[in-house]
Amino acid sequence: MTDAREMDLGLEERLRRLETILAALESDELELEKSLELFEEGIGHIRAAEKTLSEATLRVEEVLSDGQTRSLDGEDGEP
Amino acid sequence: MGDDGVLDLFSAAARGAGSDPLDSDDGIAAEDGGVEGAGVGDVRVDAQSPPPLTPEPETDVLSVSELNRTVRALIEGAFSTLWVGGEIGNWKRAGSGHCYFTLKDDSAEVRCVMWRGEASRLPMDPEDGMEVRIFGQPTLYEARGSYQLVVRKLEAAGEEGLWRLAFEKLRTRLLEEGLLAPERKRPLPRFPRTVGVVTSTTGAALRDILTVLRRRAPWTRVLVMGARVQGEGAAHEIAEAVRAMGSRGDVDVLIVGRGGGSMEDLWAFNEEPVARAVAECPVPVVSAVGHEVDVTISDLVADLRAPTPSAAAEAVVPDVEPLRRQLGEVQLRLRRALQAAVERRHRRIADAPRRLAQALQARTRPLAHRVELARHGLERGVRLVLADRVRRTQVTDRLERAVDAQLRRLRSEMGTLAGRLEALSPLATLKRGYAIPVDGRGRVLRRRADFGTVERFELRVSDGRIGCKVEDIMDEDGR
Repeated sequence: MTDAREMDLGLEERLRRLETILAALESDELELEKSLELFEEGIGHIRAAEKTLSEATLRVEEVLSDGQTRSLDGEDGEP
Repeated sequence: MGDDGVLDLFSAAARGAGSDPLDSDDGIAAEDGGVEGAGVGDVRVDAQSPPPLTPEPETDVLSVSELNRTVRALIEGAFSTLWVGGEIGNWKRAGSGHCYFTLKDDSAEVRCVMWRGEASRLPMDPEDGMEVRIFGQPTLYEARGSYQLVVRKLEAAGEEGLWRLAFEKLRTRLLEEGLLAPERKRPLPRFPRTVGVVTSTTGAALRDILTVLRRRAPWTRVLVMGARVQGEGAAHEIAEAVRAMGSRGDVDVLIVGRGGGSMEDLWAFNEEPVARAVAECPVPVVSAVGHEVDVTISDLVADLRAPTPSAAAEAVVPDVEPLRRQLGEVQLRLRRALQAAVERRHRRIADAPRRLAQALQARTRPLAHRVELARHGLERGVRLVLADRVRRTQVTDRLERAVDAQLRRLRSEMGTLAGRLEALSPLATLKRGYAIPVDGRGRVLRRRADFGTVERFELRVSDGRIGCKVEDIMDEDGR
């Protein structure tokens, strides 16, 4: 089984996957083994999403004319 | 103007002012002299040694250039900038970018020039015959000696008339092309990983946007591409930046905008290059220009118009708190669903013996049925065979009886037939005295000719045969 936390997914994909997992789990049709597997994947997505949400620093980069980016963190002024 | 030569000449002009030029230029000239004396004159006179009271004839001969320079200084000194209203004529934008035209009313006209810097800020060229107001400085074009207005600002009648007109023209064109159609608006991604921003890197707009993003969705990556948002060339810079951001591939949604300003300040966002770039951008664009009340072409073309840059930031990212709650709810539902699955499994195990029995029964039921059917079938088969045999025996009996009956009937019929045959037999006739001649082979001889071929024949009589010989053959008459 792949660990959901290791997948490189955005919040959107994770939430969508969670919806799918919930729909399958709540459908009463699954074998227990499959249910467990989905449950673990779901919890993995939740943990990963929560980790994303608690990332406290906004990353700000300036796009240069050659397409490269340069970090603007720390110099983008106080709120 | 302003160099030493001008100052000298100005003094000279001021000296001569009492006589020639001012007299010919009545009203304006008189006022001119007054204003000038009070304003520029003082300073210049101070800077200069006192003018000689009696002009020397040879020093009073001016070159044309000197004259024109002097008149120009006089005119420019006489007026500060002023507003003039009139009608546009002969508008011409030269290759250099400078614009030339005349401003006129019913009875007079004045040449006007608008240098490239100012002209480039015009939203569009005014049309000939258009009523405009001009803010500018009267001056003299020395090379021609012609008096003209150097125009700093040009406004069509009414507040922001020319801007409004240009706005409506572009809006109509884009509308006809379908670029403003509601069905072109794309939904924004719900959870963008990367938000692009095209604005001035030094403006308040960027600061506002970052503040909101930091508060609502601090996990977001923000890519900022700086562009000048007002002044000459701003529209192209913005358009280029929008294109560059759109083609990167790592931007999920793009904010384009700037903070508040005058109609003129915001104008770049009403220009076609920006409108096209926004319309063609492969990622959804949120346009946020100025304040709530400002609506630009960029706003109309974008997938979403935000009233301010802060509002744009609010629109592109979800708020972190509701998201946390949502994740909590999802987790709860996951646990419940799993628990339900476990309970289902338990119930299934507890039920196992009964279900096994049921299953067995279900499995054997068809078999038993088949056996039963077979037994029935067999029995019926046997019964059928037996019945058949019985029936067949009965048939034989009936057949025999039928044959007997037939035979009896045939016998009786034959008896009857014999009686009838008896009646037809010639024997009875023979008994009555007739005889039948037959030849040696038993053929009956009926005519004379029949006797011609035989010598001997027999006569059959009722009780035997008599051998005979043919003696003579005669016809009816005995011949």
